[in-house]
Amino acid sequence: MKKPELLAPAGDLEKLKFAVHYGADAVYIGGKQFGLRAKAGNFDYEDMKEGIAFANRYGSKVYVAANIIAHNEDLTGAEAFFEQLADIGIHAVIIADPSLIRVCQRVAPDLEIHLSTQASVTNWRSVLFWKHQGVERVVLAREVTMGEIEKIKEKVDVEIETFIHGAMCISYSGRCVLSNHMTDRDANRGGCAQSCRWKYDLFEDGTDETVNVSETSELAYTMSSKDLSMVEHIPQLIENGVDSLKIEGRMKSVHYLATVVNVYRKIIDTYMEDPVNFHIDQEWIDEIWKAAQRSLTTAFYFKDPSEEDQLFGKPEQIPKYNFCGLVLDYDGQTQLATIQQRNPFKIGDDVEFFGPDFYRFQQKITWMIDENENSIDIAKQPMMKVKVKVDKPVTYFNMMRKQR
Amino acid sequence: MTEIVSYARNVDEATQLVEVANVDAIICGEERFGLRSIGNICFEEILKINHFLKRRSKKLYVLVNAIFHDERLEEVTNYVEKLSDLSVDGIICGDPSIFTILQEKNIQIPIHWNPETLATNHETLKFWQDIGVTRAVLSNELSLDEIIDINQSLAIPIEVQVHGMTCIFQSKRKLVRNYYQKIDDDWNPEKIRYVKQTKSDQTHYPIFEDRNGTHIMSTEDICMLRYLPQLLDNRINCLRIYNIFKTINYNVQVSRVYKEAIKSYSDDPNQFHQLIGGWEQQILSIQPSKRKLGTGFYFKEQIY
Repeated sequence: MKKPELLAPAGDLEKLKFAVHYGADAVYIGGKQFGLRAKAGNFDYEDMKEGIAFANRYGSKVYVAANIIAHNEDLTGAEAFFEQLADIGIHAVIIADPSLIRVCQRVAPDLEIHLSTQASVTNWRSVLFWKHQGVERVVLAREVTMGEIEKIKEKVDVEIETFIHGAMCISYSGRCVLSNHMTDRDANRGGCAQSCRWKYDLFEDGTDETVNVSETSELAYTMSSKDLSMVEHIPQLIENGVDSLKIEGRMKSVHYLATVVNVYRKIIDTYMEDPVNFHIDQEWIDEIWKAAQRSLTTAFYFKDPSEEDQLFGKPEQIPKYNFCGLVLDYDGQTQLATIQQRNPFKIGDDVEFFGPDFYRFQQKITWMIDENENSIDIAKQPMMKVKVKVDKPVTYFNMMRKQR
Repeated sequence: MTEIVSYARNVDEATQLVEVANVDAIICGEERFGLRSIGNICFEEILKINHFLKRRSKKLYVLVNAIFHDERLEEVTNYVEKLSDLSVDGIICGDPSIFTILQEKNIQIPIHWNPETLATNHETLKFWQDIGVTRAVLSNELSLDEIIDINQSLAIPIEVQVHGMTCIFQSKRKLVRNYYQKIDDDWNPEKIRYVKQTKSDQTHYPIFEDRNGTHIMSTEDICMLRYLPQLLDNRINCLRIYNIFKTINYNVQVSRVYKEAIKSYSDDPNQFHQLIGGWEQQILSIQPSKRKLGTGFYFKEQIY
């Protein structure tokens, strides 16, 4: 059985470092061009170099998502872009548009190409087609079932990557231009306005009369998917030979990223160490929920999604935890942790510290000083540095969260 | 030569499109294999239409453009073999699985490549041209300038939609049925539905479900009649009319007007400009009141 890669998103350099620290085997980032997350921080070449150097120190790889569906004007600069990526040591690029595949193959023949999920590859014959075009890996459409994955791995010898966690298009990815039509923003070039998640009225269009179905219900019509989570089904993906397990979310917070990567790292390692005695630990599921932003679903993996896999009505009260602080330093002698504030916390709060390798403990805040060593009751200012007394050791990159 | 290609839902409509409107080609298909055909046409009907069109020296293109999952791969292989035996003039495809099928079965059949939203630049279409497709069906979210550029870069013809609504969303999920389940209401699959942005009064996005999932259509019907000269002058020669959720009469009359307009322009451009107002009136007189006419993305700027 092959140990799959755990692939995490990294919206910026800080997130890249967190993802790697918490156990990602590879991260994917966006460049300043050709990526679908126009609003994520994204990386210039200098940041990329730093990110690669950091990742390589931990044996992790860096991929660049160049997954737009290009128009003629976007092709300018593509050659220089891929040449540059190859030069600075990017391991692979994630591409959806054949024009960019061609450019990349021409100017950077050693750069691995992963076909993006935006290409909606749903069957083994399509996988085979793309293999023949020279792509090293295919990221499957989110509509592919567990059984279909098994068949694909049986039939075609090419690396397969599937999504295991995160937000989802409710359409076939790439086959939706709602934003283009409703807001003049091109969804397939990073302008997606998430129009699917808006509220609509649904009408039955009769020749004599038109009925507003939504009016008779409390619930507006909408097309919002719950978020994917395969936290309970990783062994099956590994047994089916999936090569890379992908977490969605270049726009997500460091807290989200660290939490989710930590859990999947733990699951993969635990399973690979001893598949026979493996069982799902409730703690892992609880942990995932601490960072969840929406209710969770296994989407298409095991059955056709129903209304139960969609969100209707008022937004849910999720997440249940706030990321309160990042540990910058720790003094074992005094048991003081230096913490950078990310959300307010105060004396008397019950908080949880956590770190890589599923390190976790509960802590009550009993004593706290600010940078001038004045005793304080509350850490109010964003990014302020405070020292907090802790019962157990912590280290840089550990995090502190609090239940809402 | 300029080609007007219209969808037909049955033999009768195909007949009228040829005899009344004089269209050059017909598109039809079956839900199991094709996307958003205007009627679910079985193979026997395709046989009849093919026979009829061959006698009239008109062309038939069959929709095989679904996004296939494993369960349908064998069926589609058989289907394409049968279509090849009929010598239809082309199959419309959008899933790359088709190329491995054709290669394995050694089937020669013209491929019109229609990946819907993914045919947006000349290099991408050159890629598919090199794979062997014989026509590139362009995405609807392109400007006229982009279309002209693409056309100039390719050896194969391009096809663009000049009239009717366009698909703007496809999901594999049952997004209409699911909603009725959620609000505990009866769902009648026969009804035609549309959605509207809650606060906006002017929109009308048809939405429907079939075995390929849920489809949402544009709020306006494209009508490029007035701009035909710009298309024709730039040798954009395959022009598609797509009238889903419209009557046969509407489809036939609209197709007839486009054919007349094209003929008029090639005979005498001055005459075209004198007659364009009348043709537009003819279309407006049968245009459903809820459906605005527009020019889609031909003259629109997009941001991202």
